[in-house]
Amino acid sequence: MRSPRRIGSIAVIASLALTLTACSQQPDAAPTEVVLVAYDAFTPQEGIFDAFTATTGVKVRVVNAGDTGTMVSKAILTTGKPEGDVMWGIDNTFLSRAEGAEVLESYEPVDEGDICVNYDKTWFASRNIAPPETFEDLARPAYAGLLVTQDPTASSPGLGFLLATIAHFGTEKWQDYWARLVDNGTKIVSDWTTAYTAEFSGSSGKGRYPLVVSYGSSPPAEVVYSATPVSEPPTAVIESTCFRQTEYVGILRGTKNRDIAQKLVDYLLDVPFQESMPLSLFVFPVNPEATLPQVFVDFAVRPADPLTISPDDIEKNRDAWLDAWRAIAL
Amino acid sequence: MTRPDSVSLTARRLQVLPLALVAVFFVVPVVSMVTRFVRPGSLFDALTEESLRGVWWFTFWQAGASTLLTLVVGIPLTWAVARFSFAGSRLVTALVTVPFFMPAVVVATGVKAVIPGQPTLGILWAHMVFNVAVVVRVLGPRWALMDPDMEDTAADLGANPARVFTAVVLPHIAGALRAATSIVFVFCFTSYGVIAILGGISRRTVESEVFVQAVRLGDTRTAVSLSMVQAVVVFVVFAVGARGGSDNARDGSVSVRPRRTTRRNRRMVAAAVLVPTALVAAPLAAIVMRSFVVDGMPSLDGYRWLFDGTTEQIGIDTRRVIATSVVFAVACTVLTVVCATVIAFARNPTGTLSALTSLPLAVSAVTLGLGLIITFDSSPFDWRGETWLIPVIHAVVALPLAVRTLDGAVGAIPDDMRRAAASLGAGPWRTWRRVELPVIRPALARAAGLSAAVSVGEFGATSFLSRSDSTTIPVAISRLMGHPGAVLPQTAFALAALCVVVFTLAFAATV
Repeated sequence: MRSPRRIGSIAVIASLALTLTACSQQPDAAPTEVVLVAYDAFTPQEGIFDAFTATTGVKVRVVNAGDTGTMVSKAILTTGKPEGDVMWGIDNTFLSRAEGAEVLESYEPVDEGDICVNYDKTWFASRNIAPPETFEDLARPAYAGLLVTQDPTASSPGLGFLLATIAHFGTEKWQDYWARLVDNGTKIVSDWTTAYTAEFSGSSGKGRYPLVVSYGSSPPAEVVYSATPVSEPPTAVIESTCFRQTEYVGILRGTKNRDIAQKLVDYLLDVPFQESMPLSLFVFPVNPEATLPQVFVDFAVRPADPLTISPDDIEKNRDAWLDAWRAIAL
Repeated sequence: MTRPDSVSLTARRLQVLPLALVAVFFVVPVVSMVTRFVRPGSLFDALTEESLRGVWWFTFWQAGASTLLTLVVGIPLTWAVARFSFAGSRLVTALVTVPFFMPAVVVATGVKAVIPGQPTLGILWAHMVFNVAVVVRVLGPRWALMDPDMEDTAADLGANPARVFTAVVLPHIAGALRAATSIVFVFCFTSYGVIAILGGISRRTVESEVFVQAVRLGDTRTAVSLSMVQAVVVFVVFAVGARGGSDNARDGSVSVRPRRTTRRNRRMVAAAVLVPTALVAAPLAAIVMRSFVVDGMPSLDGYRWLFDGTTEQIGIDTRRVIATSVVFAVACTVLTVVCATVIAFARNPTGTLSALTSLPLAVSAVTLGLGLIITFDSSPFDWRGETWLIPVIHAVVALPLAVRTLDGAVGAIPDDMRRAAASLGAGPWRTWRRVELPVIRPALARAAGLSAAVSVGEFGATSFLSRSDSTTIPVAISRLMGHPGAVLPQTAFALAALCVVVFTLAFAATV
């Protein structure tokens, strides 16, 4: 009774192992595919990589690896044995963590955008109240209970807004400001979707808050994805609150296809791809030769002098800042 | 336990399959995480650190309160459905089962639409909506087996309904009740999506803290340590629940046909059905209603945008998304049901194997998800981005649920039945095919349903796997929700509403 059972087990395991190995063998010849690892929200224009395949003979496979934080955490856990050849979309808040773990061989900026407070134009116009113009305004009684933002430990725009206040008020005074902001009835939710599509009054959810932390490119998105054609967005941006978010593209350390990876990076930085980004990803090109679509020219906001903090400073202080923030806001 | 026949012997040999599945896709990844990150000190810190104490407290509190609420709503409904036949009984059972299949994002959004600005109550309600099905499905079959004459006799002897329940019914269903309670508690204890969407920022649970520590703060050690302590709690809860799970199903059990309602009890049955059903259905109804309203006006635009290519601008092809979910669900279901059947018919005396296959319920999805990443990162086992890995992991997670469902059913097959078949000259295999399999068919259907639910609902760990062209329905819904403008969130509601309607009809037809 014992031995046939064991032989059976060994046979099954052996055949299982054989099948699995056979399935996953990779050819060592010239690559036919280059793998672009990207965050989930990476939604390039349909067919945008056809031109790349036509000139190089190599297909681009996009692999979605979760949100930016998940993507970076996973890449760090398996650094040197990457899931692909090129990584899209590590931003300035995660760049130092990726650098410290030597995830990338090389990297450069590929797109940029701003995290800014947006407001519901109708809400303020119909009440004859001027929209706030500065961070200080947001903490004034006149604007009490109007702002909804996101938890910076869980949300990338939430973190951007926290960093914006630190950049504006300095490392000494930002905590006082947040205490006043919280006292003034600022609503803090876990993610962008809840804040913008449910709590914010100016978009689809028709919520109760006419001020929301979102992006400088949200107004043109409201025009492009409006239910009924509109000539103007129902929302606008408070420019002085904008924090610059830069996203990077890099070659993953350990890639076996270094040359083609470099070609893909060049392609992503070239004019055709850069010009496709505003309407597919709602970000701005970094290539100065790329022209913007009209709806972006008209309605998107990109301040000439946005707030920033260096990736190194962010990485060094993030945990302490988040702890301090939790102590104030929770 | 009778002498093992050739059926159970074969089953025992075949057990190597599910064993290999769990070993390769669960044990190895989790052990890799533990050996790489956990130190004895970090386990101690995970329990005692000041900032985590509140997290532990809230996790236990909300799980306990959610479980209590689920039982209060679920038990009367189970009584009505198990005891009485009435028009719409099937539809009610189908309706309360639907949420179990729904992605957390859908139910949580529905709850929010009904009671905005009530995070704690919202969490409890959403957990109840998800888990009433567990109570009905685990407790119902057991309750239905109990001879109603026992209750009638007690009542005739002068016991009031409360006394009948505690003295007659409760002892009979205690085992199943304890099993249902432990399953519900564990689901609420480890729930992630509901907490993330409804909890806001100050209501943190261990599961959500594991995610924050590992992914946001980059502190994998604390994350894995937390999830190990959490696994111990879950295991203890399961052990307590399982002790009653095997209560002797044969004593006093007869095949009982549900009764017609009488004038005397009609009102009570109606209340026991309508109130819980309304509570479970309200968030789903809110989603369906919301899917027909654009800019405050009735409209079918959401459904049009879903299929006219609008969503392809952000890379979502609705038809392909639906097809992917269906293919994954079918693959997961076949794999899970085959493995669970093997385990159930092996009739393991000690239950070690079913305990081992229960492990995936106990360990945090984040830990398993990250474990898979570090385990399968080297050729020839670099499977991180492989599409087939997703339904396989779904199957590993679904296996404990399916095993629990089938184990009970196989154990409840009366030995007399086998002996009768044998004395009529049927061999073990013929008996298995012609007698045993038909007897457990309802349980097989339930196990298949649960497996499909795990796959379609996309619980946890697979969200850490990278995917290429394999967007599933819940992933699509949350991506569509995450865009400005009215159009894309509207299509998300339409897709969610479509799920609600299709699932309800499918269940009503098959249950």
